[in-house]
Amino acid sequence: MSNLNIDLNRVGAKGALAEEADGKWGMVIDQDVCTGCQACVAACAMENNIPFVMEEDAAYGRTLHWIRIERFWEGEYPEVRTTPYQPMLCQQCGSAPCEPVCPVFASVHSQAQELNLQVYNRCIGTRYCANNCPYQVRTFNWRDYAIEPFHANDFDGQLVFPLHNQFNPDVTVRRRGIMEKCTFCIQRIHKAEDKAKSEGRAVEDGEFTTACAQACPTNAITFGLLDDSESLVSQLANHKHGYRHLEEMNTLPRITYLQEG
Amino acid sequence: MIRNFLEWLKQPMGRIAVLIAALSFLSLVAFGIFYTQQSPEQPIQFTHQRHIGFGIQCLYCHPGALRGPSPGLPTQTKCWGCHQQMQITNTSPKLAVLVNYVKNNKPIEWVPVSQVPDFVHFTHRPHVAAGLNCEECHGDMSVVEIAENPQVMNMGWCLNCHRERAGDDQEKLIKLTDCGTCHY
Repeated sequence: MSNLNIDLNRVGAKGALAEEADGKWGMVIDQDVCTGCQACVAACAMENNIPFVMEEDAAYGRTLHWIRIERFWEGEYPEVRTTPYQPMLCQQCGSAPCEPVCPVFASVHSQAQELNLQVYNRCIGTRYCANNCPYQVRTFNWRDYAIEPFHANDFDGQLVFPLHNQFNPDVTVRRRGIMEKCTFCIQRIHKAEDKAKSEGRAVEDGEFTTACAQACPTNAITFGLLDDSESLVSQLANHKHGYRHLEEMNTLPRITYLQEG
Repeated sequence: MIRNFLEWLKQPMGRIAVLIAALSFLSLVAFGIFYTQQSPEQPIQFTHQRHIGFGIQCLYCHPGALRGPSPGLPTQTKCWGCHQQMQITNTSPKLAVLVNYVKNNKPIEWVPVSQVPDFVHFTHRPHVAAGLNCEECHGDMSVVEIAENPQVMNMGWCLNCHRERAGDDQEKLIKLTDCGTCHY
């Protein structure tokens, strides 16, 4: 790190970096058009090799979802009404609370992509980051779900895992005892960057999108380049209906939610 | 009990026992190191040396290195493309294995020698585009019979080269030493 130029005013505890700028990649979620259909949840699970945890673990609250649809209720019975659906995923904070608490630097800030990374091979499963995340979006692998026999079919005494055929080869299959979270589909970012570089140009806005945004039937989720002022996502991020979650905690989230009223 | 044992170790027999134990431990370690450094057994005794000697380019059999993450290992049909025209294919006992694969239409189950773990996402394309030749990582295959891996492909080895190549370019250094560049 000695030959990196680091502005000490921006360095917090244990070297966690805070970004002043808007960030590189961003997302806008329009809560007014979200129907809560959970297509993004399914698409995310398929794209990122997120396993099913089955009933017993789900009852313990050990569900593995990188994105979830939150719903709250307002008012006293019988005048109860639901608030608009709120897809909640890693906000890719510019000043992330999960980063300084990691004892092994598995939760680090990517300077190149300006994202919060989870380095699976470093993680030792202390779960400090999940406890410090104000958005509760980090999930923990309580078992080796990929090789759990309850995912297998028994063929003449041999276990066959049909779901292994739909694994995404670009994403690590996580093992037991490590933390994971939304990566903003960093494998797609890398693929798009690689393609752009081989063609000798920069990545264009709208060239690719995340799995959740791709699956959204109402186009409630917009993903793109935040540092490009012309891009759709940066224009929507400055919309007058926009707000950010727990902004008062100064985590500098990269996801803007739109909601009228 | 323990004192008796320590006393016995001081006797000539005890010393010999200690020597034998130490020797067997050392030979186990030596065997372990030797065994793990062997190149794996391949389904066909393919000689890289001879094929490169004929002037065949690396990319002819491993074309994926130019465009994608994986260079690919040749299928039996690719081998057969050249070998069906050659007289030696029908006479050589070594090539009978290949003929068998082709006749039964079975894939050749090559054992990859240069592999990275699941949590490392290596792509050949940018490395080839950066001007690296195959032999800089995989060694000079023109002197190797059965494919073997000359490098310990660990993260320090990757990062050494990345740091060297980035030089004083800060932006490049950040990109090339970023965790998210390989681990996701």
